[in-house]
Amino acid sequence: MKEETATPTRAPEPVALASGAALRFHAVTHRYGAHVALDDLHLEVARGETVALLGPNGAGKTTMISLLLGLLHPSAGDVEVLDTSPHAAVAGGRVGAMLQTGSGSGLPPGVTVRAALRLVRSLYRHPAPFDVTVERAGIAPFLSRQTHRLSGGQAQRVRFAIAIAGNPDLVFLDEPTAAMDVAGRRSFWGMIRQFGREGRTTVFATHHLQEADRVADRVVVVNHGRLVADGPGATLKAAVAARHVQFVCDAPDEKQLDSLEGVTDVEVRGRGVRLDSLDADATVRALVEHQIAFSDLEVKGVGLEEAFVALTGPGRAAG
Amino acid sequence: MIQLLAFGRFEVVRLLRSWKFLLITVGFPVVFYMLFLDDRSAGKVIAGTVPWRMYLMVSMCSFGALVASLTAAGARLSTERASGWARQLRITPIPAWSYVATKIAASMLVILPVIVLVEIVGAAFGGVELPFSRWVELAALLWVTSLPFAVLGVFIGFLVNAETAFPVVTALMFVLGYFGGLFTPVANMPGALRTAARILPSYHHAGLGLALLDGHSLGVEHWLVLAGYVAALGFGVVVKHRIEEARGIA
Repeated sequence: MKEETATPTRAPEPVALASGAALRFHAVTHRYGAHVALDDLHLEVARGETVALLGPNGAGKTTMISLLLGLLHPSAGDVEVLDTSPHAAVAGGRVGAMLQTGSGSGLPPGVTVRAALRLVRSLYRHPAPFDVTVERAGIAPFLSRQTHRLSGGQAQRVRFAIAIAGNPDLVFLDEPTAAMDVAGRRSFWGMIRQFGREGRTTVFATHHLQEADRVADRVVVVNHGRLVADGPGATLKAAVAARHVQFVCDAPDEKQLDSLEGVTDVEVRGRGVRLDSLDADATVRALVEHQIAFSDLEVKGVGLEEAFVALTGPGRAAG
Repeated sequence: MIQLLAFGRFEVVRLLRSWKFLLITVGFPVVFYMLFLDDRSAGKVIAGTVPWRMYLMVSMCSFGALVASLTAAGARLSTERASGWARQLRITPIPAWSYVATKIAASMLVILPVIVLVEIVGAAFGGVELPFSRWVELAALLWVTSLPFAVLGVFIGFLVNAETAFPVVTALMFVLGYFGGLFTPVANMPGALRTAARILPSYHHAGLGLALLDGHSLGVEHWLVLAGYVAALGFGVVVKHRIEEARGIA
């Protein structure tokens, strides 16, 4: 994933209106003490894209977002946001974000939702109209509620409203649906998609493959601080569909098994066989057709980590 | 600038809306003052020329300013940092220092009515009689010189977390109050404690007020120590803020 693009002609000033890049990581490394959180990362996101940062916990997603917001400074390399520094983009009110808040609500205690939103709007020079923000985030029903009386999902919506209140060109959402139930998630992602249709750039971090696939135009997979895969959601579908097909077989023929439909990897341990398959149904059918005598058949979905491996192809596994 | 004013207004409104906070902040020094008032000691004069009743009123002004600072900024700031709100503010266009500056300003705003209220109690029940201009001077002097308390409150807010805030704030209130000679005149303390008092801002804060009422010049030492506290604590706030920034926390 080393895209050596016709790189940084270094826009002298943020004049260019739609000059392309919403954000750019150039050879970015970030360390926390001895721990390397990001390792020589290159990434460019064009304006108007909706991009998912996908990866397990600790992959480096939050570090990326913190760098993009100027909350952290890279140990090495350059981070650019809207053709300027992250700090300048934030100070110019062009960026909004929903951060991870751990156990906290991320909202000011002791005020109503309305007051909190009004305040945030007043901090920007060209905020979005109040009513538009309220409607977009779907927070009308609890505008008069005190911020500490909100449910997890409601607080999350209010934080989204706060993220978009300043009418930003670019929005970062760090695990935005963490506290939501299934229905809440669905309507939340509907909002994000709507937001993306207005030509804004949205970058969100998640560890839900399905969410990434459904919402984003482009999915960037990170693991161990490196970019593991980058492409449209469709590429991911295959990975999501990846299954383990396990069974016991008296005389497993590795070569034959490897040639079966859908199989990407074969592991044989004594009589135990494990196949990685992108199409479990087809693989099982093929087993039958080839008259391979198997017993104790089991088909299992793969975890996220393994899905990454499937994504990046055999051999390039561990990051 | 408009943005900063909006933020300041928001902070103050939020502070004034929380009645529990106001009750503690304003009520505590007043109740304390009332408890200390008793007829037997009314005529006493402590070390030199200051009547007991004046000493008591000035001390309670200082104590009130201290309590207000520690509760207004200290305890609340730690809660806000824990909730993630402080971090959310950092990704809005207002500059990073404005958060700290607004907190200090809000504390100062709460301190003023506390001082005035203690003065009113002093005039009504404490047997303190002063010309009107003196009342105003005293309030102004004690208010302006409360700045080190306000900065201390913010510093503590950065230092403690939501769980440790309460014990730390309470302990500081009484340590600075007692050893600063706000409950018992420093002159009545043993020698070692008398020396110790002179390094505490509470002692010098009240000292300025007493000097004013006593007709003394407002000693340079008082000003120097208080200014030193503002500088040192301000530096502490900046350093702590930077550290948290570097870690991406605050």
